[in-house]
Amino acid sequence: MKVTRRDFIKISGVTATGLFFSQLGFDLSPVSAYAHGLRIKGAKETTTICPYCAVGCGIICHSSRGKVINTEGDPDHPINQGALCAKGAALYQWVNNKNRVTTPLYRAPGSDRWKSVSWNWALDEIAKRVKAARDEGFTKLNAKGQVVNRMESIAHVGSAALDNEECWTLQAMMRALGLVYIEHQARI
Amino acid sequence: MTNHWIDLGNSDCILIMGSNAAENHPISFKWVTKAKERGATLINVDPRFTRTSSKVDIYAPLRSGSDIAFLGGMIKYILDNNLYFREYVAEYTNAPFILTKRYGFRDGLFSGYNPKTKSYNKRYWAFEKDKKGTPKKDKSLKHPRCVYQLLKKHYSRYTIDKVSAITGTPKRDLLKIYKIYAATGRSGKAGTIMYAMGWTQHTVGVQNIRTMAMIQLLLGNMGVAGGGVNALRGESNVQGSTDHCLLFHILPGYMATPSTKWPKLADYLKRRPKNNDPLSANWWQNEPKYMVSFLKSMFGEFATPANDFGYDWMPKLDAGKTYTWLDLFDLMYKGKFTGFFSWGQNPACSGANSNKTRKALAELKWLVNINMFENETGSFWKGPGMNPNEIKTEVFFLPCAVSVEKEGSITNSGRWMQWRYAAVKPPGKATPDGEIIVKLFDKIKKLYKKEGGVFPEPIVSLKWDYTTRGKFDPHKVAKQINGYFLKDVTVKGKTFKKGTLVPSFAYLKDDGSTSSANWLYCNSYTEKGNMATRRGLKDASGIGLYPEWSWCWPVNRRIIYNRASVNLKGQPWDKKRPVVRFVGEVKNGKYVTKKWVGDVPDGGWYPMMNPDGTRRADTKYPFIMKPEGHAHVFGPGRADGPFSEHYEPLECPVERNLMSSQFINPTVKLFKTAKDKFLTCDPRYPIVGTTYRVTEHWQTGLMTRWQPWLIEAEPQLFCEMSEEFAALRGIKNGEKVIVESPRGRVTAIAIATKRFKPFTIMGQTVHEVGLPWHFGWVTPKDGGDSANLLTSSVGDPNTLIPETKAFMVNVRKA
Amino acid sequence: MSGKSFFIDTTKCTACRGCQVACKQWNQLPATKTKNWGSHQNPKDLSFVTYKLVRFSEVISDGELRWYFFPDQCRHCDEPPCKDVAEALGYKDAVRVDKATGAVLFNQKVKIKPDDFNEIKDACPFNIPRYNPQKRVISKCTMCIDRISNRMVPACVKTCPTGAMNFGDRDKMLALAEKRLKEVKTKYSQAQLLNAEDVRTIYLVIDDPEKYYEFAKARGIGITRMLAMKKLIRPVMSFLGSRG
Repeated sequence: MKVTRRDFIKISGVTATGLFFSQLGFDLSPVSAYAHGLRIKGAKETTTICPYCAVGCGIICHSSRGKVINTEGDPDHPINQGALCAKGAALYQWVNNKNRVTTPLYRAPGSDRWKSVSWNWALDEIAKRVKAARDEGFTKLNAKGQVVNRMESIAHVGSAALDNEECWTLQAMMRALGLVYIEHQARI
Repeated sequence: MTNHWIDLGNSDCILIMGSNAAENHPISFKWVTKAKERGATLINVDPRFTRTSSKVDIYAPLRSGSDIAFLGGMIKYILDNNLYFREYVAEYTNAPFILTKRYGFRDGLFSGYNPKTKSYNKRYWAFEKDKKGTPKKDKSLKHPRCVYQLLKKHYSRYTIDKVSAITGTPKRDLLKIYKIYAATGRSGKAGTIMYAMGWTQHTVGVQNIRTMAMIQLLLGNMGVAGGGVNALRGESNVQGSTDHCLLFHILPGYMATPSTKWPKLADYLKRRPKNNDPLSANWWQNEPKYMVSFLKSMFGEFATPANDFGYDWMPKLDAGKTYTWLDLFDLMYKGKFTGFFSWGQNPACSGANSNKTRKALAELKWLVNINMFENETGSFWKGPGMNPNEIKTEVFFLPCAVSVEKEGSITNSGRWMQWRYAAVKPPGKATPDGEIIVKLFDKIKKLYKKEGGVFPEPIVSLKWDYTTRGKFDPHKVAKQINGYFLKDVTVKGKTFKKGTLVPSFAYLKDDGSTSSANWLYCNSYTEKGNMATRRGLKDASGIGLYPEWSWCWPVNRRIIYNRASVNLKGQPWDKKRPVVRFVGEVKNGKYVTKKWVGDVPDGGWYPMMNPDGTRRADTKYPFIMKPEGHAHVFGPGRADGPFSEHYEPLECPVERNLMSSQFINPTVKLFKTAKDKFLTCDPRYPIVGTTYRVTEHWQTGLMTRWQPWLIEAEPQLFCEMSEEFAALRGIKNGEKVIVESPRGRVTAIAIATKRFKPFTIMGQTVHEVGLPWHFGWVTPKDGGDSANLLTSSVGDPNTLIPETKAFMVNVRKA
Repeated sequence: MSGKSFFIDTTKCTACRGCQVACKQWNQLPATKTKNWGSHQNPKDLSFVTYKLVRFSEVISDGELRWYFFPDQCRHCDEPPCKDVAEALGYKDAVRVDKATGAVLFNQKVKIKPDDFNEIKDACPFNIPRYNPQKRVISKCTMCIDRISNRMVPACVKTCPTGAMNFGDRDKMLALAEKRLKEVKTKYSQAQLLNAEDVRTIYLVIDDPEKYYEFAKARGIGITRMLAMKKLIRPVMSFLGSRG
């Protein structure tokens, strides 16, 4: 994914007067201590939208060798025009964060600690529990004898941080299972 | 938002009330600043002086929970001084509609109230109908029972003296703001509102917003550039996840969840009100096409006319019962759930009355928590006051990818659906949510196929082909959301091949020949490609619509209700900033060809009137989503009244409601567990408390507390208070304080500030304090815990959104 | 003076602190451990790893409450006293001025003694330089010399949403500053540009600069070589004194 105009050229996106450098005539020798060259030179550029509030600001991710090395506002984006607030500007540290959980975890009843588990085991166990709770708690008819075909033994909250495509798929799964207690961030 | 972020720059007057845009939607201020540079007046009304207040022309304080009084006073001012936009109000709103004699209002209650059920019989609020069944109107607005006259009567009670006594806002500030904002009720002037949770999180949340919507209609500010009612939504995809309806009461595209009210599909498809007025588009009459297309997307080939397209497989609610967040955690607290999914959310900190929520989690047999960081929900069993040995809940934590590690779209507050790309792979074994969803359901389905089980039909029939080479493929879902022709179909004279994507929802059918997983997004991924990826920067409108940048629902319409931005002849009220304009040819004073320019019009019909002043019969009223085609100044659909009325918050510092003997919202629903404690005017909790956010953190802090740069800037829970109050309690700035409510307590750092001032409410001094709800015990260790430990689990009667913006606390030195 | 300049219009700053974080992000500077000290301003001060800091100040002015925000950073003086002092102390290559832009840069390869650092810091009329005692080097804002050398604006300017942060050719920035001053002056009679003639980071404020921050305006009469030389007398004397 390439952006339409390179950030390099669009230097003046945020200056009120729209200035461009006319020349590159820098004498780099006195600043050798700083002028290591641009750290994002040659990096892959990917566009994204900020994951925080719903303004929907554009961000460019610079990545190299499978790592995000820089994130900054997308100057072409018509809403933010390159700007970002403190949170958006800190996106780099959200992605590259040593506190990310990188393996599924399980906490047994009464235990005081997490245990690392495999995806396969975790999903198998969850699937079994969903089925057991559903088979046991499924309501075909309500108290009045009306057909309701629902499950009131499992509830779900969340999703405002997911992509649209994930949200749709998630609601499809939950509704096919028969959940009615489906709620999310818009309710709080 | 009816409008969008860039459009804020087109406004002449921006009222920021119920939001703190500079702090919580910081980039909105790019456009607010643009408006200011153009000469717009910025107004901010907030209990405390914020970073937003620091940049506006007029700041005024008000006590939390008194917004309806403030806005009710503005309605009175507009009507008393004849400042409303007469033509707009008479033609486009229901102000001329005549009510039956059953409508009435006395001492805080509307007619039709049943004290036993604490609810209204809305038939008391019906319009008087003519023989054809359409509402009777008096466009002169003089009929004593027309909406306009009843509105005038209702708000005549909101005098400046009363409003000031309730809100604590000085009278001169009230008058100044009313005057400046009401000045936008003219052709060529636009005023807008930026609100957020400061309005929704009240027991009168919906009516707060409705009062402002009424003002916007009276001033002709709906549909125009720089106008509208703009909800600043708080999460990157809270708009999209609401559109796709991960909420109990709606299916994707805002269709009601099936309930016992509609046992069969045929009942469901008949549910929308009919309207016999040929000039009313009554758009929701198209719902059968959207519902059948939705069911085709859910169940694919298994959805057939013979089985009602799988309608029976959809779970049904009990008619009239609510299944909201507050209900959900109340039941969980009572041990009614076996399992619980908390998917990308941290309810242990985000839900009101967090102690109740946290206790409820311990009642579960199992909990699945999908997130990227450890959080207070997944780790609740080792939180403060918990003994892990005694907690039997099994917890599964599934690590997910972050946004830049996967592909897909999100929808911003301005309804723009924007595509994101994967820059890198997730770390370790973390994986995209989509991948977790498909894998988990595959396993469940396999179990049902292998072992059988209760009612397996919806599970084995669910269309589930959203992977490519074994991985979740967002493009496949995005196309399904848009929808396909399932047969060769001829619609509106055009023939479409089976298997092609539907160009827009106007082509959807109710016979099973089309699918569309969400009709509002039909037009987003067509044979022309994925519209959400577009990066075109052309803007012929000159008002910042950017129609070629990404895509916007519905059908790329950037400002909704835009046909109300033109007069009856289709010409813009505001000639400098037209949103749409009719440019059809004229012959003998009549329009003879149909052509609109500008934004995608809200229906492309001819204007209401020809240039020669004759009315047309082949047109439609502009508010197409309303059955009568007219915007609701009178809103008979609300649970708590067709007009708004000031009621005190459930917990408040005053002993009576100055407006009536109805102290609190008479339709409010109370929960009754030991954790639901509420105390009003109790000497132990004499201080008004409120919650809010700061720029540097986000929601429960789950996505910001782990970033050293952000925690460096806002490291700890604080409690802001006036210097006067701090002095009264001997609290020094920067000291630790304990803040407690009937439900919980937190330790915070005191910020004694000039930006909070004591209020004078009904002659009494009332102090208010505020805390952010970003913190939690998991990290940082000295950061403090969630302010939601203090808030109350009582909700608005329409939405059940909790009243976390107004409650009572005590504050003392730690 | 040719080269580049910042124009910082504090009337437009919302203290979103995008600049403060973007500076850390681009320069890959770590966070410091902070505590809430009864203010939203955090970290409390500039440091070796904080080149840019939004300062918060609540004041009553003209009878109304104002909340002033001051995005503090190096002014990149035309004739930097820090450079003069460093040279007088014998560090020939410690401070350099980039010819094309005018950026004032501390050479990270030159080790500075702690006492000498204090002299250099005291010479700064804006209290900017900060010292890393482990590495024995001084640091501060670099004008994002790597970015501007590659025709990009500094990270803080790029991220600013409202137009508070501006960067470009000096004459154009000065013209913009003068234009804004004229506009703002109609409402605020005390509006002024701070040390515009002598520095490359020009602030527009609407009130007594002391109300924003004690070092908002140069402490003293302005930054001239004369002033710098006067400041030099004290360190040189004390240097001699210690030997004597």
